[in-house]
Amino acid sequence: MEDHGEEVAADFREALQDLTTNARFEIVTLTNIARENADHGLAISEVLTNHIKEAPASKTLPALYVLDSIVKNVPTPYALYFGPKLYQIFMGSYTKVDNATRRKMDEMLKTWKEPVAGSISKKPVFPLELVRPIENALLAARNAYMEQAKFQTHLMRGRPAGPPARDTPTPPMGRAYQPPPPPPHGQPPYQGPPNGQYPPPGEQAYPMRSGNTPNGVPNHATPPQPPPSAEPYAHYQPPPNQGPYGVPPAPGINIDKLKDDIQQLIELDRAGFAQNMHDASKQNRLKALLDLQKVVQSQNLPQEQLMIISDQVAKLAVNMRAAQAQPPPSYPPALPPPYNTHTPTPPVVTQQFAPPPVAAAAPPPSVLPQLPAVLAAALGRPASNVAPLPVAAAPPPPVRPATTAGGAASGTLSLDAILGQGALAALLAAKKPATPQQSSTAPVPPAAAVPPALAALRSPPQQAAPFQPPPAPPVAQQQPPAAAANPLTQNPSALLAMLRQSGLLGGTPGVPTLPPAIPSLPPPDPNIITLTPSSLKFPRLHLLSYLLDHLGPPCSQCGRRFPITEEGRKKKTQHMDWHFRVHQRVAGAEQRGQHRSQFVSELDWIQSHEEPDVDYNAPSGGGGSGDGDGSESDDNDWSAAVKGGRRKKNEKKKRWITAPDEGDGTGTGTNKVCPICQEKFQSRYLEEVQDWVWMDAVVVGSGQGRRVFHGTCWDEVNTGGGGGGQGQGTMVMLGNSNNKRKMEEDGGGEGEEEVRGGIKRLMR
Amino acid sequence: MSIPGLGHISAQQASLPSTRTLTLHPFSEWRFQISPTSTATCRLLSGTAERDGTELAQTKTYNITRCRSKIVTFTGATLEITGEFESEHVKHYPHSADSPFVAYLNLHFLLQARRSQSSSGSGHGPRVMICGPPASGKSSLAKMLIGWATRQGEQPVLATVDPRDGMLALPGTLSAAVFATVMDVEDPEGGVGVGCTPSSGPSAVPVKLPVGYYFGRERVEDDEGLWKDLVRRLGSSVRAKTGGDQGVRRGGVVVDTPAVEVRKGEVKVKGEDGEEERERGGGVEGLMHVIREFAVNIVIVLGSPDLEAELRRRDRKTPLGEPIEIVNLDKPDGVVEQDRQHLLSSRKALIKDYFFGDSKRALSPSVQSFSFDDVVIFRAVDAMDLDDPNQVLERAEISEEMSHWTLAVMDASVNDPLETIRQAPVIGWVCVSDVDKDRRRLKILSTVSGRLTRPMVWGRWPEPYVNLLG
Repeated sequence: MEDHGEEVAADFREALQDLTTNARFEIVTLTNIARENADHGLAISEVLTNHIKEAPASKTLPALYVLDSIVKNVPTPYALYFGPKLYQIFMGSYTKVDNATRRKMDEMLKTWKEPVAGSISKKPVFPLELVRPIENALLAARNAYMEQAKFQTHLMRGRPAGPPARDTPTPPMGRAYQPPPPPPHGQPPYQGPPNGQYPPPGEQAYPMRSGNTPNGVPNHATPPQPPPSAEPYAHYQPPPNQGPYGVPPAPGINIDKLKDDIQQLIELDRAGFAQNMHDASKQNRLKALLDLQKVVQSQNLPQEQLMIISDQVAKLAVNMRAAQAQPPPSYPPALPPPYNTHTPTPPVVTQQFAPPPVAAAAPPPSVLPQLPAVLAAALGRPASNVAPLPVAAAPPPPVRPATTAGGAASGTLSLDAILGQGALAALLAAKKPATPQQSSTAPVPPAAAVPPALAALRSPPQQAAPFQPPPAPPVAQQQPPAAAANPLTQNPSALLAMLRQSGLLGGTPGVPTLPPAIPSLPPPDPNIITLTPSSLKFPRLHLLSYLLDHLGPPCSQCGRRFPITEEGRKKKTQHMDWHFRVHQRVAGAEQRGQHRSQFVSELDWIQSHEEPDVDYNAPSGGGGSGDGDGSESDDNDWSAAVKGGRRKKNEKKKRWITAPDEGDGTGTGTNKVCPICQEKFQSRYLEEVQDWVWMDAVVVGSGQGRRVFHGTCWDEVNTGGGGGGQGQGTMVMLGNSNNKRKMEEDGGGEGEEEVRGGIKRLMR
Repeated sequence: MSIPGLGHISAQQASLPSTRTLTLHPFSEWRFQISPTSTATCRLLSGTAERDGTELAQTKTYNITRCRSKIVTFTGATLEITGEFESEHVKHYPHSADSPFVAYLNLHFLLQARRSQSSSGSGHGPRVMICGPPASGKSSLAKMLIGWATRQGEQPVLATVDPRDGMLALPGTLSAAVFATVMDVEDPEGGVGVGCTPSSGPSAVPVKLPVGYYFGRERVEDDEGLWKDLVRRLGSSVRAKTGGDQGVRRGGVVVDTPAVEVRKGEVKVKGEDGEEERERGGGVEGLMHVIREFAVNIVIVLGSPDLEAELRRRDRKTPLGEPIEIVNLDKPDGVVEQDRQHLLSSRKALIKDYFFGDSKRALSPSVQSFSFDDVVIFRAVDAMDLDDPNQVLERAEISEEMSHWTLAVMDASVNDPLETIRQAPVIGWVCVSDVDKDRRRLKILSTVSGRLTRPMVWGRWPEPYVNLLG
């Protein structure tokens, strides 16, 4: 099975190269891959070692965290494999990273001297004799420096010397990385503290669901529930630090990932169970979950069944992302927080309002009658007759029998309920950084478990001062119909209710998840400002809105705003796609090595056209021009723009096509010699598009009649016939067919540049 | 025992970056200065804030280094800041009407109204020239006007004819570019540094594509003739650009100019060396030249009524027949003239960014060895021994003296007339890293590997960067 080992190693290497942030999710996935492929542990450890050695400074830390995570979760055999190289790995990385990262590495190093948190084994992660030399080396280097410059504060001394490291089995990243759940055989971490000491997040999320009918109290006001999974953590989650790319898209049917997700659910449920042992429903759910895990792990389920299970899980991940995407507009600059407006709050809000301390503190008077119900719900005494929720009502049928076989005793409990609970998994993933570890020394008061929610609640008053431009500028008064046309802007509570119904709003009164209501401003009167000092100095603050809210909510990546119109939405989608593609490509480009491009010539600059977020897609058809397959060059806006511009001016300028791959179907139908001059096309690598291309080639026709020609040959034939040539095409004619060879041979490293030169020569 | 790379650990440790939250009232500014060796982060927690006209994204962490800049809010904002600053403070105005930004914003909305009007007329948006004495906030205002216009979907051209600036180019270059996309908030130069120009790889912030002409001197008065020629070239390129692209035409042009000082009653300022009376920054004549070449129809004078009066005296119409409007705005307080040391270090940082990239993208330049005969290097002749008016450049003698200098690679052929080469646009720069006179070879650092077939020009500024390869 050596081949298999190589394959695994190659996959692992690829996955590592995509790892650019400390995304917990990715680290967990990599850890799981390592776990599954422990047979090929040596190969994997080598790949990881080399990756850490070669990775640029920015990627070193995530890679080290992968090592950390693997070693802590799959000590056998990985601790053995990494052990001998530990010194080199650590010191090699230490010298290349910046000081902030070094501190993280120091923290990590500390944890290596201790047993894995939550593990039964009392053996340290790495034997002390491996960690010591590293510490000594670091100390020596520091001392050497300190003797030189008499700085007293010191990395090691600056910190308490003892247990704190136990708080962080792996360094807390503030971002997303969190030590993955301990292996199934390990002790679940949450059983240590006394019951009820602190509610883990699941505890808070759970009652929300059951709160619909807590203890049978009917709740008339509850409208049809939007997908519950999206709601609960909408208000848990302070605007996340990580962009949407922190969480990679859920893969189709990745059994590892599925198992991991189920594992998370189990962890969470265990924690809840440990806290409230008398809760039969919890016990049942946990049991059912364990059964599900058993089924998934032990049996070879058919793909479609896995698909359904993983679909449910993936949906949760997607929902989580959606919920994360929501917060950004949640700090409307010009709007006071909703509860300052004394808008009667729809009762549904109360249901979302789970964390007890918060619930007691914040609800507006109108919801007081419901408070007992909320508190009951929050205290974790849900009724056992949970009504299935809309989302949960779509169970994965094929799996159901398998699970109920195990969980039949639980009666009303079904897998749907569990998967409905998947919100917890998502919540757990999002919330984990705040979850106290078992080894945490200080007992955590209940309130400490909900800081994000509290923070979110507290933040609005802090920004209660937001400057609000006069909403109705004098000009606006002349056009009241514009405002009246949209009743929503007149009635904020109606807008709120609608948004909530559509599931866009988390719906907690304290959390300002309200996107700024866009006043429909008329265009400013062009003549109100004159170019005189006095007119320019007169404050017209209402105009500010044209630079801010009027433009729509900003992009979370770069702050660019897009209007809430059909077109604006389309543009924003395009824009986000662009961000996504760039993000993906940045990693790849780093490996390949990039260089500053040369500036373009005057003519190219004049003809270039800036088009934000638009990738260049060659328009199809047109005499002499390619049909553009494979010619998207979206890695780099300007080159696309330049080409787009050139294309508009002069179609003759695009002179390459992506070299057809002979391996797949696309290559088979393509001729390899130019039908005109009978010379073969030469493949070469074009930096600009980062792909193999045929230079000076054009595609003519499509389908069966599709032929590739040398651009110069084609031009010669066509302009000679007086047909396709247009304007500058004739000038191309002035060159002779040697141009083509020239363009191909000139190349070398300066490809892009020479091509431009070639084009330019042709132009003259 | 010492391990390479561990040198500065304690120094950094001494001042652990502390996280602070900063609450800004509407129309207040957070001004800061960060040394080239440290990095600070800034995150917008709530409200809205912007740097040089470009809005900060909510909750995104921006890394800022090596700059003296400010973050402004018009609606109030909460910022989370980490890192160490050479200096920083919050400038708060008791009345928002006192803020210079009121006038700047009004100016923007006025320009925006003109852009709307232009659609029905000639199609030409406003061409704005910003001028004033040193340290009057010219470049800042230019960047803000561009940033705001871009936010509203316009595609204006930013041009700089101040050789010290090096907008999207190395210092010593006059350049212009269309701004249609978000500017880089993290860029030390506020989105117009050379780090924002295209590289072969992708960029998380859209790159800007400039056209530039190499002046190779620090001050306009060092070679006023060349400066005027290059302004003309730049002006005609921009005109061609606006002529061919409707969106750019509507967006108009903002021109940033070298500092010009006019003292009461006297137009001319004594040259620093005192030997000859010369006008600093090309003087008012220089500005009039810019006005002509860029068909400027709005002149913003910052904090110099005398300069305004002087320009008014020569008031005339643009080539398009529009009247030239001139307005003097107060110079904002708090603009400090950058000290030489700071300017020098940021010039060096720009050169480094150009070849090696910034923190966001590492570039791999190449060092190659060439024979003296492989390269063609010109140098401007000194005005002293100028006998033949056409002899504007001469082949430079390659010597050790050339080491560490940055040379401009011109978009021309070595056989072109000297005047053509001199006024050709720059396509890049190389740095001479080593000259071996005995073996007649020199080592050159360039962005891409390959032969150097283009003529290169050895300017007299910016100064050599000795430790570039380090």
